[in-house]
Amino acid sequence: MKLAWLRSQDGAHDDSLWTTTWVPATDDSPALLLTGSLDETVKLWNPEDLSLIRTNTGHCLGVISVAAHPSGKIAASASIDSFVRVFDVESNNTIATLEAAPSEVWQLQFNPQGTVLAVAGGGSASVKLWNTAEWKLVGTLSIPRPEGVKHSEKSGTKKFVLSVAWSPDGRQLACGSMDGTISVFDVARAKFLHHLEGHSMPVRSLVFSPVDSRVLISASDDGHVNMYDVEGKTLFVSMSGHSSWVLSVDVSPDGAAIATGSSDKTVRLWDPKMRAAVQSMTNHTDQVWGVMFRPPGGTGVRTVQLASVSDDKSISLYEYS
Amino acid sequence: MACVYIPVQNSEEEVRVSLDQLPRDATDILDILKAEQAPLDLWLIIAREYFKQGKVEQFRQILEEGSSPEIDEYYADVRYERIAILNALGAYYSHLGKIETKREKEEYFIKATQYYNKASRIDMHESSTWVGKGQLLLAKGDLDQASAAFRIVLDGDREHVPALLGQACVQFSRGKYLESLELYKRALQVNPECPAAVRLGIGMCRYKLGQHEKAKQAFRRVLQLDPENVEALVALGILDLQINEAGGIRRGMEKMQRAFEFYPYCATSLNYLANHFFFTGQHFLVEQLTETALAVTNHGPTRAHSYYNLARSYHSKGDFEKAGLYYMASVKEIEKPKEFVLPYYGLAQVQLHLGDLRSSLSNYEKVLEVAPENCETLKAVGHIFVQLGQTEKAFEYLKKATKFHPRDHEAFIDLGELLISTDAVAALDAFKTARSLLKKGHEEIPIDLLNNIGVLHFEREEYELAEEAFKEALGDGVWRMLIDTDKNGQQSDPINEALYKPLDASASVEKYRDTQLFNQLEEAGISVELPWIKISTLFNLGLLLEHLHKTESASILYRLILFKYPEYVDAYLRLAAIAKAQNNFPLSIKLVRDALKVDEKCSNALLMLGDLELKNDDWVKAKETFKAANDATDGKDSYATLCLGNWNYFAAVRFDKRNAKLEATHLEKAKELYTKVLVQHPSNLYAANGAGVVLAEKGHYDVAKELLTQVQEAASGSIFVQMPGVWINLAHIHFAQGDFALAIKMYQNCLRRFFYNTDSNVLLYLARTHYEAEQWQDCKRTLLRAIHLAPSNYTLRFDAGVTLQKFSASTLQKTKRTVEEVRATVAELTNAVRLFSQLSAASNLHIHGFDEKKIETHVGYCKHLLEAAKVHLDAAEREDQKIKERQELARQVTLAEENRRKAEEQKKLQLERRKQEEELKQMKQQEEHLERMKEQWKHTSASKRKDRTHAEDENGGRGEKRRRKGEKKRKREKKSRYETEEAGDMDDQEEVEDEYVNRNYKQADNAVNDDGDEFEENPQDVLAAAGLEDSDAEADTVENPSATNRKRRAWSESEDDEPIMRQPESSPIRENSAEMQVSDGD
Repeated sequence: MKLAWLRSQDGAHDDSLWTTTWVPATDDSPALLLTGSLDETVKLWNPEDLSLIRTNTGHCLGVISVAAHPSGKIAASASIDSFVRVFDVESNNTIATLEAAPSEVWQLQFNPQGTVLAVAGGGSASVKLWNTAEWKLVGTLSIPRPEGVKHSEKSGTKKFVLSVAWSPDGRQLACGSMDGTISVFDVARAKFLHHLEGHSMPVRSLVFSPVDSRVLISASDDGHVNMYDVEGKTLFVSMSGHSSWVLSVDVSPDGAAIATGSSDKTVRLWDPKMRAAVQSMTNHTDQVWGVMFRPPGGTGVRTVQLASVSDDKSISLYEYS
Repeated sequence: MACVYIPVQNSEEEVRVSLDQLPRDATDILDILKAEQAPLDLWLIIAREYFKQGKVEQFRQILEEGSSPEIDEYYADVRYERIAILNALGAYYSHLGKIETKREKEEYFIKATQYYNKASRIDMHESSTWVGKGQLLLAKGDLDQASAAFRIVLDGDREHVPALLGQACVQFSRGKYLESLELYKRALQVNPECPAAVRLGIGMCRYKLGQHEKAKQAFRRVLQLDPENVEALVALGILDLQINEAGGIRRGMEKMQRAFEFYPYCATSLNYLANHFFFTGQHFLVEQLTETALAVTNHGPTRAHSYYNLARSYHSKGDFEKAGLYYMASVKEIEKPKEFVLPYYGLAQVQLHLGDLRSSLSNYEKVLEVAPENCETLKAVGHIFVQLGQTEKAFEYLKKATKFHPRDHEAFIDLGELLISTDAVAALDAFKTARSLLKKGHEEIPIDLLNNIGVLHFEREEYELAEEAFKEALGDGVWRMLIDTDKNGQQSDPINEALYKPLDASASVEKYRDTQLFNQLEEAGISVELPWIKISTLFNLGLLLEHLHKTESASILYRLILFKYPEYVDAYLRLAAIAKAQNNFPLSIKLVRDALKVDEKCSNALLMLGDLELKNDDWVKAKETFKAANDATDGKDSYATLCLGNWNYFAAVRFDKRNAKLEATHLEKAKELYTKVLVQHPSNLYAANGAGVVLAEKGHYDVAKELLTQVQEAASGSIFVQMPGVWINLAHIHFAQGDFALAIKMYQNCLRRFFYNTDSNVLLYLARTHYEAEQWQDCKRTLLRAIHLAPSNYTLRFDAGVTLQKFSASTLQKTKRTVEEVRATVAELTNAVRLFSQLSAASNLHIHGFDEKKIETHVGYCKHLLEAAKVHLDAAEREDQKIKERQELARQVTLAEENRRKAEEQKKLQLERRKQEEELKQMKQQEEHLERMKEQWKHTSASKRKDRTHAEDENGGRGEKRRRKGEKKRKREKKSRYETEEAGDMDDQEEVEDEYVNRNYKQADNAVNDDGDEFEENPQDVLAAAGLEDSDAEADTVENPSATNRKRRAWSESEDDEPIMRQPESSPIRENSAEMQVSDGD
């Protein structure tokens, strides 16, 4: 289990890179890399040589999240001004523009089936579900407010929803908030199931294991990476090692390794069996906001790649083996 | 039976005196001798016989009578016998003088001298007199004169045996053993039948020369001649003992014993026997023997030895008082420490034990005079200097110890321990040397040593080495299995099972209090043992892991400590700190309370509790807790004092607007507390930082800056001191003094160095500085970063909106602007409008603290600007078009003219040169004139421009005014936000200064408002020029009746994006009412 640095693209954007995602391979195209930045642009890259394919403009204020449809045909990007732009990957034609109330958009995630786009609803303390056929709001998964607690200023900002993750079967959805709580929903019944406790600081990234729908991995500002049994509502591993916030987390396609990006400028590879980091990549010179494993599929790709993006304006690619 | 015959005078008869039947009373004999006028040799024989029988008194009586003046007169011609008598007396008194130690000693010597002198007067050349004198001088220790006396004899007779022996003795005493040996040998050659004592002398010389075998031969010969010669026996015994092996010692002791049997009063043999019994542990015998030895000898060194034996015996029995007394007695018997140094050492040890460091030191120093390389002594002296606080001297001695004894691990350990606080590198080297020495010797390495090595590596940021050392110190144990994750990975043992036991979601909140893990291990049959000597090291390893961010492993170690030793408060506190760092305050408080259950007066726990209470915004409680902590330590704990100081500082900046007097009181109190800490610990960085902040708060920026710079330098030195607050405070001061570039640099450095760029507050400070420096784009980017980090902070979004608006407005007011600039402006304005309207649409106004109205005014203003901008844009684009056309035309014209000009140029060139000089002069004059004109214009143009812009932008002005009010409101909102930050931001010792970040911001803010005069002028003009000057004085007058204040307010309000307000949360009602006033006025 190790990472080997492949290549980097310095100055990929004019300013900090805040988000990245892999656009799955299609019949015509291999998997591509999509990045979003504070410089208000979204860029599409060819992972082979990290050459720029296209620059999408149109966002005001920084781009906070990008997400790709499982088909690899369409993608979505969101910015601080609370607009979500859905566009055709190949042509960059705008398919839809989803507007939300201020601060009510943060992370985006398509469900594995590609039928729904989940948008972390920030200050609304909910996750909004958009139907991808007609781009209509089809549901709102709200975090229940704890009973008896006064509706005060603090609770409002505390439940700000930052991150969202779909289970591989698409039945469950988890979201992480500023106060560290993770909420799990049954999507079909639009029902809140339970909270997962263990963090008391913002949970900026969540991911389900691709091989086990029960396993959810969270990354938090408290420097910990937690692994939960979603159904058993239990925390079974809490891993520490980053010296600052953990900003992003992803699981390798085989489910055996976890990759994280942190404010401490490192990308780390974790072996959950050993409850410890097995490798630390130090090629970035500033906070690493996004890490993501390349989804399997596409022609000619045998190895698994990992992409990372950072405040240092660069993209890096690693080979995972 | 020997007898003498005293011839009866004038007769043939003789009186027969049987020598073994001499009368008790010597007078009887004397009467006969005198009466019969017996020859003097008879007197001498009889006297000698008395002496032999131990009847010294009679001996003396006869001889004194025999040397009386009458005898001299009567036997005037009998010279030799008279001399012999005098010499006998002289020898007798010499002997008395020699063995006597008291005052009489001198008297005896004087008497002896008198007798010898008298003898000399009878015959100057009598060799026996000279020999006697020599002996006397020898006894007096006057070696040179003694030697001279013997030489006189030897010059006359080279083979004079007594003189040879005397001279040999002199040489022996001088330490010239070779010469002495020669003399003894000569004496033996001259008189092979001479007494055994001569051979004894030879033996002694051989012994001293190190020829032990030959010495032994000599001593054995003595014993052959005189089997009961105690000296020879003792000497042989000593030689045997020196072989230093069991057999030798046994033989030696046998000889000593025999000597003792022959003559129980030989002090040397007694001492050696005592010494032997000391080592066999028969202290009773030691005392008996030494007491006898003391009773029988007056010989100083021997007595010293005896006392020493006695002292040692008591010392080993632990009776330090008595041991000290006897050591002292022993020392008193010694003239020079060189002769016998051991009692000094013993005495020093006892004094050290009894705490008399100075005396001990002086005695150890005497030992060092004799044995400058003695390791134990050097170490002891070093140790004493450590206790006396003279570390440099201590270092010197320990260094010597390690130099002379590079294999003595203890010396290195001592040296390392000494250096630990002053020179970590050298200390570490010393410890490492000790470790490798121990390893070479295959000895067990003490845990403390490894622990120290670990700590030093830790301090030097050599974490891997530190971890190794700690783990080596701890050895194998359950802790090893719990933290060595590498090994656990593959196997499925009970430990892994226990570690992997999923925690119930609710339990996971309290994971740092969980000890189930260990119970489970015990149930699984794994012994959870932790020897107490390993706790510190385990705790240190925990700290190290924590530092390496292996928080979970660290927490397991702390919990293991608590599982076995629930009273180990520090472990609770570390766990609490871990929980606190993760924002899990309820758990942290629980852990602190656990610690307080163990020790309710534990000041550290109390202080931490106070911190946590501050985080929960529980001011009154926090103060009480801090006070309790302070009381618990009698005010001696500087951290407690510091916390109280901080509390007062907070209180000052929190309550200031409500009560200026209260603010002053709190500030004064804070200053007093900081000063108190500084008096106790002049190097306390945190107190110095606090003092710097108070100074800055009072406006003494330069002093504060200097102080804080020093703190910053000092804090940069250690990994255990993390004081980002100092950086921020300094930046605030730079900001307050208008040095924006430096402030920006400092904020950025601080962010990078301490916060991994994750602190949105510092970003906010940075944004504000950019704002003041009118770097709009930087300001915007910085704010967006802050929003990205803290998306739920709506104020940041508002600030971003204000920045966009401000940027647009300033661009539009520019007289010269490009199309691109205007386009960008339009885009920014659109953003701003959207931001504001979004915020206004976020209906949770009470939650976020925005007033819908305010935002609307912003929106209105932005929209207005936007419309204006569009006009501007059109105009600009047209202008641009025209310019382009004009440029094209001009280009063609110039092209045509180019050719013509070129032809003419040559002609002109010459003409021009002449002209140039004249023109230059004219130009200068014109310029000067222009300057004068400008001066005049200046006064008028500003107001003119103002009028114009007012007229043009009246609407905008109104909007601006309202907007300003909006900001006012926003300001308030921010206040509350910051208040919470502030209240929260107190932390561990390391982080205690965090809060200054916030408080200082206030100070910086303050500076802008209070110190504004120099700033005011320019910005005011800029504002005026930009059409942003407040045209509606009315509202302002309501707020601030004073005209100067109005100006200032205009500045501070319109310009401020100040992220920090002076108002605390506690006063929103008041603030709102003030706000209402403003609205009314409007």
